[in-house]
Amino acid sequence: MKAFQYATAHSPDSARQLVADNGAYLAGGNDLLGLLKEYLVTADPLVNIKSLPGLNKIEDGRKAWTIGALVTIAQIENHADIKKTFPGLHEAASEIASLQIRNVATVGGNLAQHSRCWYFRQRDVKCLKKHGDLCYARSSENRYHSLFTGNDCISPVVSSLATTFAALDASAIVLRDGKELRWSMAELYAEAWKNPYAHNSLQPGDLIVRVEIPTARSRSAYMQISDKHAFDWALVSCAAAAEIADGKMKSPRVALGSISPVPHQSEAANSFLDGKVLDDATATQAADMILKDAKPLEHNAYKMPMAQALIRRTLLKLKGDA
Amino acid sequence: MPSWPAETKYISHATTRVDGAAKVTGKARYSSDIQANGWLYGMILRSKWPAAKITDINLEQALKVPGIKAAVLARSKEFTVRYYGEELAAVAGTSKQACLDALRAIEVTAQPLPFVVNENDAKKADAPRVWENGPNYKEPNARDRGDVTAAFGQCAAVIEGFYSTPVQTHNSMETHGNTASWTDDGVTAWSSTQGISSVRDGLAGSLRLEHSKVRVITEYMGGGFGAKFGAGVEGVLAAKLSREAKAPVRLMLTRFDEALAVGNRPSSFQKIKLGAAADGTLLAFDLENYGTAGIGAGGDAGGGGGGADIPAPYLYKVANTRVKQAAVAVNAGSARAFRAPGNPPASFGIESAMDDLAVKLGMDPVELRLKNDPNPIRQREYKLGVEKFGWKEKYRKPGSSPGVVKTGIGCAGAAWPAGGPSKNTHGEAQINPDGTIEFRLGVQDIGTGTRTVIAVVAAEMLGLKPEQITVKVGDTRFPPGPGSGGSTTCPSISPTVFDICAKALQQLQTQSGIADARGANWFPACKKLGVNSLTVSGQWIEGLSSNPAGGVQFAEVEVDTETGLVTVKKMLGVHDCGLIVNQLTLESQINGGIIMGMGYALYEERVMDDLSGVMLNPNFETYKLPGIADVPEIEIVLINMPERGVIGIGEPATVPTAGAIANAVANAIGVRVGSLPITPAKVLAALGKVPPVTA
Repeated sequence: MKAFQYATAHSPDSARQLVADNGAYLAGGNDLLGLLKEYLVTADPLVNIKSLPGLNKIEDGRKAWTIGALVTIAQIENHADIKKTFPGLHEAASEIASLQIRNVATVGGNLAQHSRCWYFRQRDVKCLKKHGDLCYARSSENRYHSLFTGNDCISPVVSSLATTFAALDASAIVLRDGKELRWSMAELYAEAWKNPYAHNSLQPGDLIVRVEIPTARSRSAYMQISDKHAFDWALVSCAAAAEIADGKMKSPRVALGSISPVPHQSEAANSFLDGKVLDDATATQAADMILKDAKPLEHNAYKMPMAQALIRRTLLKLKGDA
Repeated sequence: MPSWPAETKYISHATTRVDGAAKVTGKARYSSDIQANGWLYGMILRSKWPAAKITDINLEQALKVPGIKAAVLARSKEFTVRYYGEELAAVAGTSKQACLDALRAIEVTAQPLPFVVNENDAKKADAPRVWENGPNYKEPNARDRGDVTAAFGQCAAVIEGFYSTPVQTHNSMETHGNTASWTDDGVTAWSSTQGISSVRDGLAGSLRLEHSKVRVITEYMGGGFGAKFGAGVEGVLAAKLSREAKAPVRLMLTRFDEALAVGNRPSSFQKIKLGAAADGTLLAFDLENYGTAGIGAGGDAGGGGGGADIPAPYLYKVANTRVKQAAVAVNAGSARAFRAPGNPPASFGIESAMDDLAVKLGMDPVELRLKNDPNPIRQREYKLGVEKFGWKEKYRKPGSSPGVVKTGIGCAGAAWPAGGPSKNTHGEAQINPDGTIEFRLGVQDIGTGTRTVIAVVAAEMLGLKPEQITVKVGDTRFPPGPGSGGSTTCPSISPTVFDICAKALQQLQTQSGIADARGANWFPACKKLGVNSLTVSGQWIEGLSSNPAGGVQFAEVEVDTETGLVTVKKMLGVHDCGLIVNQLTLESQINGGIIMGMGYALYEERVMDDLSGVMLNPNFETYKLPGIADVPEIEIVLINMPERGVIGIGEPATVPTAGAIANAVANAIGVRVGSLPITPAKVLAALGKVPPVTA
């Protein structure tokens, strides 16, 4: 990697000052160090934010829970009350990478992670996302790529926390020059939908400080399918959340990962499901609505039936034992 | 003729690895652990072009990078590179970062050339040529036996299938590499190799040194699987860097390097037509096959890398056969020997075709194999396996398992026609008056437990305990031994140790006057040696080893027909390799073979990009290998056949796994996935669930 300055920040303000225009925040480092080692991004200085006070806590609340950006994936996975309150979040956390990575990877880093597209990650290919002329994946090896996108790059978002937070209607609180912005997951990734060079809406110096999850939905579930049984990226992931009263869904939300540069959601499907009793036919119909207008490519059309099955299964899982 | 003892205490029993504790505590020094005095890091610059005419390589700026002590060219300043990742130059320096900086400072001038990286494109007449002086592919001649056309006419059932296997890249736990130290006395290389002698010869040849001036040491190494016989470009470069820098250079390849340039198993695209009489007797077989060995098998293909040809019709006796096959060159890293070269793709193709034919005949797949496999040992193994596996209770008509998640079973057979001894195997033992004994063999432990095998045989023969035997291997100063490949190590060294022990006992009898120096008499006999140690030499002797080994494997899988995910629930391996020397290390090899075969069946595939010509998955993120969560219960049943002597097991253990799993998948879902790896995407496609894509 290229040489860089290194500093430790003890307050969000000093972090912002230190990181300046060309720096990067360093927490777990799983993604950032890989990017630097492959010379895929440049960052100077690296600002260690692990010492920022208060960001490594999970706090429960009546209306919403707060998860600090420095909370590790393992903390979420092992938190007994999260498992009870947001079972889908527990499931998503426990499928991320490997135990070693979960022990150091943070919530903020998981949300902000860069594209895993194998053209982007290939050190000698200058693809569109790296300001080259061409999205190679579009006409070549696109088995892991998007079914939906608003631009020429077809690299999907792979954060399974983002998928789950979207279903739970959680917000990311982003600190921009001392001011807090409250973003939905859709907003957090909106820029990646339209801009091939972006993988989220964060601008230089922006810092995710926490995520707030409303407790409005007591049922949630997460499922993913990968080529392998563990330590593998999702080919498709799906999260669903709802309240269930008298057997009927209230405020249901479904989101999918790895098929779009943003957590893929259909407000039409969410509205359709609202007030419905969960059964196979309803879930199938919702899946059709969610996948409507997908644009499969030569090698990723298998994601269509896979997503269909996952949506149905994840929704039905919401019924639980009730 | 010598013979192995009938009653044994250690041979055919289970002895834990004599070096197990050293390995798990980190005390064992692997080649990549070596820190020679004053050592430098070494690194290689590789071509970023899949094909290019290199017109200049300027090392000047690299040499100015702080910490850099040497920079050398891989070949010359002007030559043609033919694949992405081919070596251009190398540097040595005091830190990894210095080397990385230096690699980026090397100025390479090149004219990119047209390239072709995929087999089907490369076959076309107008494809860019990998080698200027000839086409990438030459239509091969058919080799006929009998009258195939007439025989197909007489068949009650004929199937035609297309079965393909990907390029599988070598991924040992320890990458390729050496620490090389070049002084006035010659070169010492601490090498991660499966052939210390072949590395010595290779280094001496490339560096124009006498053999006596090159010493290769391999105390411990982390796997080779056929890719680590030679000195390698990286070995020669390490030595040259050491000469320039006047310091030892440790040049271990990175995972990225490893994926591109140290060999692979060729792909195969097999069009098979197979026909049988109504009773299942195979009458006719027709194979058209091509595959790629990259730019060619290369000059470093020791151990049988060869081209892309596969043995056919493999295990089966068919009176009428036609085989047509050839390799197609592409701009990609070359093939090298890879655990049972040619056999896993051959097994996958023919075993898939056998099951497809069994379905058409309405016959049990095991019955069809028993009908046509002439090997009596495999016949026995199938019958044993059927019992152990509960085949008859579990077997259902293809696709008839109820529900969304369907179960299926399959089987396949293995052969490894080589696996005999390397007769040029020598060794010695030094016996000291205090009764300690040290064996020295110029063999190396590729990781299979070579030291333990030597200790087990010696302990048996001398009436001692394995832990009382000191074993030294992995040094070209010891009496020469074989390369660890082709399942040859165990049948080479076991008779050699037998011979050393027999001679030692003889000598001890002469010198001590004690008639039988074994067991309780060992220490008194040794004491009589007085002040001088006794050194006894021995070599491989006839009658204690043979070949070939074989086996059969059974797989049980679950296939989720909505998501396409395949889960292997159980593997059973029934194997033979003559006399079992040590059951534990033998079982370990079969476990490893089956897990490697699972990777071949379900996960592994080199992905080349048509547009850029690069490999897209030179890492463990997208070159997928089985992990612990993917590995099922593995049951191993061994047939001990002392009368056959010692035979190796390394290769056959991995041969039939992919075929057995593929057949189990086909049995579960009722349709064939004819292409490895069997990914969820391919399962869904085979089930007709993937919508057509309109461009």
